[in-house]
Amino acid sequence: MNPSLKLALIVFIALEVSFAQVWTVNVVLIIVSLILMLANHVSFKRLLYLTLVPLFFSSTLVWSLSLRGSASPHFLLVIFTRLFVYVYMGGLFTQTTDPLMLTRSLEQNAKLPSKFAYGFLAAFNLMPKIKAEVATIKAAAMMRGQVLHFWSPQLYFKVILAAMNWSDQLAAAMTSHGFIEGAPRTHAMTISLVARDWWFFGGALLLVQIGLFCGLP
Amino acid sequence: MKRWHIRDIILVTILAIFMGVIFWVIGPLYTVLAAALAPFGLSPLANELLLGIWVMAGPLAGFIIRIPGAATLGELLGAVVEMFLGGIWGASTLISGVVQGFGSELGFIFTGYKRYNWPTLVLTALTTTIVTFTWDLFRSGYAAYHVPFLLLLFAVRFASVFVFGGVLTKLINNLLVRAHVLPNATH
Repeated sequence: MNPSLKLALIVFIALEVSFAQVWTVNVVLIIVSLILMLANHVSFKRLLYLTLVPLFFSSTLVWSLSLRGSASPHFLLVIFTRLFVYVYMGGLFTQTTDPLMLTRSLEQNAKLPSKFAYGFLAAFNLMPKIKAEVATIKAAAMMRGQVLHFWSPQLYFKVILAAMNWSDQLAAAMTSHGFIEGAPRTHAMTISLVARDWWFFGGALLLVQIGLFCGLP
Repeated sequence: MKRWHIRDIILVTILAIFMGVIFWVIGPLYTVLAAALAPFGLSPLANELLLGIWVMAGPLAGFIIRIPGAATLGELLGAVVEMFLGGIWGASTLISGVVQGFGSELGFIFTGYKRYNWPTLVLTALTTTIVTFTWDLFRSGYAAYHVPFLLLLFAVRFASVFVFGGVLTKLINNLLVRAHVLPNATH
């Protein structure tokens, strides 16, 4: 399925599920996501992780809701299954979507300005460097006997300086390679958006609406 | 008003990645805290205590980049990074990212993107708390809690957002102003 449409579908369903109180739809969404993940060969270890973590958080949430609140059993069931819907649908999305394809699709299909698409990509490719920079800053501070925590302003200050430096250099590099903001572009790789994507998108949304509004528990 | 250029976009993304890495790193801390508080039915407090760190990308990006939309974009991209790093909340992370970012953004909108000082930070912390709390009333079923407990959750959340999104952001901002790296910054 087209990455942009898939993202829109998943975010929209997650948003609806956050307000709706129909646990049967939640269960159906969980089962469908699980089947699709299995069909896409998501590893068993990942599935186990995706099950245990929400199990823990759902249980604690339900426990504190029943202890400190006045929630009906039906509502508790809705909340319990809701967290699984988030996690399974999110897992399905991240495990079957390549960030590069998503960015390209957002640019080509969803008309995201190319300066955003390429700006995001340029920065995302720095991810290993950013992690290394954090480690370097911490090590450098340790050599002077300072320990930097996630609440130390110094840590953020130094990372931000590095980030400013890199963004200046990257922007200059992109300009010198001929990148012009807002100029029309051609694409070496086109992401297809065909009628089937739209049918799937519309069909899935319609099914969810029917499930939510036909009076299921 | 300033517009987005490629340099700003890269900068906000790098900041978001850095914050996304931090969100991801404190994930286990959240789990441990929630587990420790769970037997007393207090596990939502873990969320409230740490929420300030999760929403920090918004005010930080808003203070550094100073372009309309910076807070929302910073927070949303932080959520994207967290999601692809293996954070498990998936699509709901993205929605939370927008909700949190927009909450911070409101503070900047109310001050017209002109003043970057303490009152703005306090206002930002307040709007962030109110917007995210409203969201949790629905999403996490907070509406079903008894009122005194709800008030406690709200107070803890505001304190956390104020400490991380307010005090810490201001301290970082002070360092940056002293280093003369922020354009048109006022003390």
